[in-house]
Order: sequence, then C-alpha cells, then structure tokens
Amino acid sequence: MTDLRSELDRQRGTERAQAIRALLARPLLTRAADPEDFFLVARHAAELVPWFDEHTGWRLSVEARQGYARLAKVSARPDGTRPARRLRGNRDPFDRRRYALFCVLAAELLTGQVTTIGILAGRLTQATVVEPAIPTFDSASREDRRAYVDALLLLERFGVLTATDGSTDAYLEHTDAKVLYRVDATRLARLLAAPQSPSRLPGPDLSALVREDRADDDPDRLRHSLVRRLLDDPVVYFDELPEAERAYATGVPGRRAIRAAIEEAGLQLEERAEGLLAIDPDAVATDERFPAENSVPGQTALLLLDSILAAHPEPVPRAALAEQIAARFAELPAWARTYRSDGGPQRLLTEALGVLERFKLIFNDEVIRARPAAARYAAPTTSAKTPRPRRAR
Amino acid sequence: MSDARPAFRRVPADMFAFTTTERADLHTAVMQVFGEAAERLRAALTFDEVLAGLPETGWYEPVSDESLEYTLGALHKHGLVDRAQNHAAHYASAAEYERRNLHYSLSRKGEAAYQGLLLALDLLDGSGALQTSVLDAIAARLGELDALLGDEGADDRRIHTALTELEGHLTALRSGVVRFNGRLQRLLRDEGADPAVFQELKQATIAYLTDFVTDLDTRRLTVADAVARIEERGVEVLHVRALRGADLPVLPGRPDPAPHFLERRAARWAALREWFRPAGGGRARVEELADTARAAIVALMRALERFSDSRRRGSSTAADFRTLARWFSAAETDEAAHELWAAATGLWSARHTHLAPDDPTAVGPGTSWFRAPGVHVSPLLRTHGQSDRVSRTARVRDTTEIREQRRQRALRERLELEEAWSRLATPGPVRLSAFARLDQGSFSRLLELLARALTVPARDGERRASTADGRLVVVLLPPPDHHLAYLRTARGVLVAPDFIVSISESRPGQAAPVPLRTDFRREATA
Repeated sequence: MTDLRSELDRQRGTERAQAIRALLARPLLTRAADPEDFFLVARHAAELVPWFDEHTGWRLSVEARQGYARLAKVSARPDGTRPARRLRGNRDPFDRRRYALFCVLAAELLTGQVTTIGILAGRLTQATVVEPAIPTFDSASREDRRAYVDALLLLERFGVLTATDGSTDAYLEHTDAKVLYRVDATRLARLLAAPQSPSRLPGPDLSALVREDRADDDPDRLRHSLVRRLLDDPVVYFDELPEAERAYATGVPGRRAIRAAIEEAGLQLEERAEGLLAIDPDAVATDERFPAENSVPGQTALLLLDSILAAHPEPVPRAALAEQIAARFAELPAWARTYRSDGGPQRLLTEALGVLERFKLIFNDEVIRARPAAARYAAPTTSAKTPRPRRAR
Repeated sequence: MSDARPAFRRVPADMFAFTTTERADLHTAVMQVFGEAAERLRAALTFDEVLAGLPETGWYEPVSDESLEYTLGALHKHGLVDRAQNHAAHYASAAEYERRNLHYSLSRKGEAAYQGLLLALDLLDGSGALQTSVLDAIAARLGELDALLGDEGADDRRIHTALTELEGHLTALRSGVVRFNGRLQRLLRDEGADPAVFQELKQATIAYLTDFVTDLDTRRLTVADAVARIEERGVEVLHVRALRGADLPVLPGRPDPAPHFLERRAARWAALREWFRPAGGGRARVEELADTARAAIVALMRALERFSDSRRRGSSTAADFRTLARWFSAAETDEAAHELWAAATGLWSARHTHLAPDDPTAVGPGTSWFRAPGVHVSPLLRTHGQSDRVSRTARVRDTTEIREQRRQRALRERLELEEAWSRLATPGPVRLSAFARLDQGSFSRLLELLARALTVPARDGERRASTADGRLVVVLLPPPDHHLAYLRTARGVLVAPDFIVSISESRPGQAAPVPLRTDFRREATA
C-alpha cells in the first residue's frame, strides 16, 4: 500500500525544488507571465524564504496578493553574459542606450500611478535634457523610439507597467499612438537588488555596488558564496575559488552542506577532482542549453568541442576550428544555410565558441583550450574515457 | 471685409513665389529696393535706380543686366511689380531706349507681399511677449471711448484715433500671445545644450509668467466692464462716428470705402469681445491664456525641480535609477553594461546543463573529469543537430509533461486511498455481510485487512491488526452464529464466516472517524 504521508512529503519536496529552480531562472516571477510557477512559489513561500536565506543569503519576497515573487540575487562577480533582452524580434541583448532609457523611465515612473506613452516620452525627453551625461531622448528618431519601446516592453514583462488601453508596439510607427499605463511603483522599487544604493556611491564602481555588509569571518559567508555559484553557474572550478572557499568546498562538512542545498533545489551535484557542477535534469533553471537541439551554433559547439578535446592538453588555434567549419560547409551543402553568407562562418565560429565559454567548457584566448568539465561531453569514440581496468576481470 | 471667402482662399497663388525660386535672393533684394524706395515716397524706379539701390539692401555681388532684367520680368509676371513707360529719361541710343524706357513700381499685391515679408522676418526674429501694459492700454482706450461717446460734442476724429489705437493694442496682444506661446512650447520641450542657461531661462520665464498671471483677473474684468459700457451706448454709433472721423477719401471709379470700413470695425470688435467678454457666456480667450500660463509655470517648475533633483545626491529609488542611467551611458562596452545590469538588478537566469551521467556514483569525488565517465550525448545531436526521441535527451524535453503526469498519479492514488478508506471504515463493529457490495479496489483492500487480522493470534477471541502505515486498525471477532457473509464483487462472490468487523483510524488525536458515505451507513445499520 502506498504510504500517504511520505508520498505527500515527497510531493511537497518536488514542488519546492521546482519552485526554487523557477526562481533561479526568473528572479522576478509574476502571476501574469508565469502563473504556474508563481502559484507554486506562493504556495511554498513560507519554506522558500528561509531556504534561500539559509543557503544563499538571498532575500526572497513573495507578494502573493500583488502577484509577484522577487528573489534579490546578489553576486560578488556580476556576469556580463546574462544581459536583459529585448522582447521583440531576435531577443537581442539590451545595449547601453536601452539600459539607460530603462533606468530614466523607471525614475520617471515613480511619480505617478497612471500615464500614457506620449506623456512618458515627453518626460523622458525632459529628464534626459537635464542629464548632460545621457544623450537626449528624441521621439522623432526611429532608433530612439525602438529603444524606448524595448524598455517599455521589459517594464511590462516585469509587471511594473500594465497597458490598460492600447499596445506599446504601436509607438514604433506613430508617436501619437495612444497607450494608457498603470504603474506599480512598489514593484518598480523592487527592481533594484544591489546591496548598496547606487546614488550613495561616488562613482560607477561595480565591486562597491555589490559589497555586502557582512564580515569576512562570517561563518555563513563561505557557504553562501559557494551555493550561490553552484545554483547559478554551469561549473564551479576549485582553481578559480579563493583559498578559503576552496578549503570549504573540498572539506567534508562543507561538501555535505552544499550537497544538501543542491539536492533540495532538485539538482544533482557532480563532484570531481577539478570542481563541482550542478545538473538540472529538467533544464528549468537555465537561460540556455548545452547540448542544444535545433541550434546550429549548439551543434557546431559540440563538434568543435570534439576537436578541442582530441587535442587536449594541447591548445587549438582558432584557425584550425575555422577550417573544421569550412570543411563541414563543403561536405554538407544543405547544412547551416543562414551562416553561408559573407562573414557567416566566422560568426558561426564565434557563436559556437561563445556557447562553450558560457558553459565554462573552454578557455578562449589567443588559442582555445578545453577546461575539465568539457570531458563530460566527449564523443564515446574518443579516448577521453578511461577503459575499465583489466584487473576487474 | 467685403470678400467673405476664407483667408486661405484669398491669398494670391504666386504672392510669395519670388521667395522660393532659385533666384529668390535677388528677387527678394529687388523687392526690398522697391520697399525702401516707397518709404521715401519714391513710387517708381528706373532700371538703373533699381541696380543702384541693390547695395543699400546689402547685395554687393555684381548683377548683370540680363539677370536683373530677368528678375524684374519675373516679378512683373507674378503681378508684384507694375511697369510703365518712362518718357522723362534721355536715351543715347535706340537700343538703350528699348531696354530702359520703363519705370518700375510695386503693385498692390507687391506692397502686400513686401509687408508680409517684413512681418514674417519680424516674427522669426522676435521673441514675443505677454504684456500687462497692453491690457492696461486696452482698458484705457475703452474708457476714453466711453467718455467720448458720452459727450455729444466730442470730436469724431478723436473717436477714430482712439478706436484705431484700441485695435492696434488688440492686434499687439494677439500677435504677442501667438509668438510667446510658440516660444513657451519650444522652451517646455527644450533641447537646451547648456544646463545652466537652460535653468536660468526657465527661472526667468517662470517669474515673467507669474507677473503676468497676477492681477490678470482684475484686468480682464476691467476690460470686460468697459466693453459692456460701450455696448450699452451702442457699438454701431461708435463705428459710425469713427467712420466720420476717419474722413475716408471717396475716389471716382473705386467702390465706397464706408461699408468695408464698418465691416472691418465690426470684425475687430467681435474679436475684442471674444477675448474679454464672449457672447453667449463662453470662455474668454484671455482666461484660456491665463490657464496656459499657469500650466506652463507648473511644467517649468517641475522641470527645474527635476534639474535640482538630479543635482542633489539623493538616496531615493528615483535617484538610484538616475544614477544607474548615468552609469549605463558611461559604460565603455555593452558587456560592461550587462555586468552593471546584473549587479544592480540581480535579474539574471541561472545556467546549468541538463545531462547527468548514467551512474553518478560510479566514480569517487576525487576523480578527474578527464577520467570519469561522460554523459550520454545523443549521436544524432552531432550529425543532425537533433536528438532521437528515444534517447534520454528527448526525455528531458517532455519533463513538464512527465512531472505533471507524476503529480496527477500521486494525486489520484491519494484520492483512491481516501476513497477506499472511507468505504471501509465502520461506525463501530458491524457484520462482514454489511459490506454488501464493493468495488474491486475497496474489496482487495478489505481482503488485505482481513488477511492481516487473520494472521495474528487471537486474544480473548479478538484479532487486532493495523495497516502497514499504522493508520487503520482492524478488529475481528468470530461470528456468534454460523451465518455466512456473501460479498459480491464484479469478479465473483466471496463466501466467508460472517465476522464482526470494526475498522477505524488509529491516528492519535483524531477522534472523528473517517467520514462515511451515507449509503454505507444505511447498509451497515440495516
């Protein structure tokens, strides 16, 4: 007979793990955009808040009534490969202009509860005029309008703005488009997660911005730092850790604490001599996949990795990989059509290496070298796997 | 205004054509030569006089005779310049006579075009102003007219000049407002490059507007009262007396100027009323002006506030966002901006692989990745960029579905369990035969319970057992008689001694039994 209580406990544990990973993937989870995950988080909020606090030191606020949950992620090493993305077209990353407009908009939105796209554009112009450091917003410029719409759409995605009448996209064509917005100022304030207030800092200084007010000898600090990395990053190599963290991660009590946290998040911990790696079998808590399906750069990344691994520990020059791609182009005329135009092969090479770099599988400097975790993906035919010892027979 | 057609239909098509052609420069310069000559009461100019006048207008380039000829011809063609034979000049040759025997002067259309040009230039250069003095002057002239009208013996000429002055002030007010409003709107959406100048300009404008708005209401009422007083005396009377005072020349061959004069006066008076005392009690334009001025003051103050706000190093969220906006703008690369975004908002996604080795415990944690078994990557991913559906990577794709199925199954099992228990639990000891009809699931659970109870030794004739999780307790007593129980199921009939059975929940603290289905209760007590 099925044991009801243990079954229920298991069920709750699975759901909680799912909620944790949903928050890791989307630190601002809204009822409007992700209803299922949001309700999951809301249901388990009472356990999730202390969970994140204990294992990561990250603050989780669940505003069930307001319809959002916010995990304030903090990292001592902010990553430049996970940008805000446009919600139109190719989901290109935001550029500096868009980020700046997004922030000016956010500041302007704090004053009112209802506004329109036209009034907002006017305020944006006025606000950028008085900021000599920021190029003035000009609604007559198509490029500016595009950037403005991208910033607005992202604010809508976060639920800061709600279009109660009209559609933001209309502004791309006509500056006299009528869109009415409702503003959620508290959610707006929640967008900022840095431990330090930027306006109190003397200048642009990332390390000052992410400095947390806790002593170095705080016993929780080491654990938090490592669990954060493991929950967020594809691989954590021991050799890139500070001495104290490495000692903690390789020690028995540290390893036990880390494993507990990783498993409660529904991830598997892979422990190897060179480092640690958390596996998300459901691929929920990730912004991209490797290996990926139906992706030319993803497939190319896998193929290039084979060559890079075959050469290991020798590095591979970039040119050799470019040749490999060129050879494949010649061999398979139907393959990767979109990359056959001018500069396409180079772009494909860059993108494929970008995938491998983002998953921390290679060093990509002048030459390319495999990092240890790359060996996980070795093709079975290569000799990367050690044969079973003979004495086993 | 004898012509009732709207203004846009009355503008002659080629009136300002001379300003738009390739030779607009020379055309305009020549027009200016004529205009300035007219001011000196020189009505007509010869070819040479036009040529000589050009440098006075600032035209210093040499002009060929052909070129000037062409220009004069063009202006004549547009109807701006009249040509007449000049009989007074002396000519040295027939050729000279042919070419230079003409007198040129501005036509009426030409005069209008020239004045229009001057006005346009004036508007382009001037800044426009709102002047309370204009309002005072209007009030004063109205008062004067009132007094003159009250005096039968007053000179009509004085009425005419006073009315002309009044109309002049009204025109000044109107054009001043138009120009000032234009400047104000430009200021409100200003692209001021220098913040300091920008701030100064706004502050000055605010002071100016505030001055203007103060006492505007009193002035408006004064003017409106004066308008009312004159209307009581009769506007027509005023206009007729003004007409007499104007002493208009009546020329033979031209229409009588009086009706036109009166029409114009009536139109001006209507405009005056619209500004200060509109018919039908609508909003006076001067009130709208006050509203616009007030709104502009608020907008300018807000802009200034923002300016000082941005200077102050505040700790508010708005200040944080503004600071970040500056930092983003100053970022050296997009990548640096991405880092700043991550640091400031923490809105990044985690990144993980989804492939796990077949047996995670196959090697110890001290093993190198290079020596440990790898994960299974579908070979099709390398060859086709897609994984086959039976491989494990394909399974990952459907995880949400599987998770959902698993969840549903657990839920279903739990419900079945609850359901079965609720069917089996008894309100107290009952006969086994009371379980008259059971579904397959409940029946097999009942059998399991009976089997458990029958395998334990009897104590005082009572057999007591519990389920594996300890939740249900079953108590079995041998039947006091030799009745048999017949339990019918879909699969057949169970025949057994008619035991006395009691099934109940054993959880401590839970006194209430599992809720019973009412139909079962009826069967059990029957």
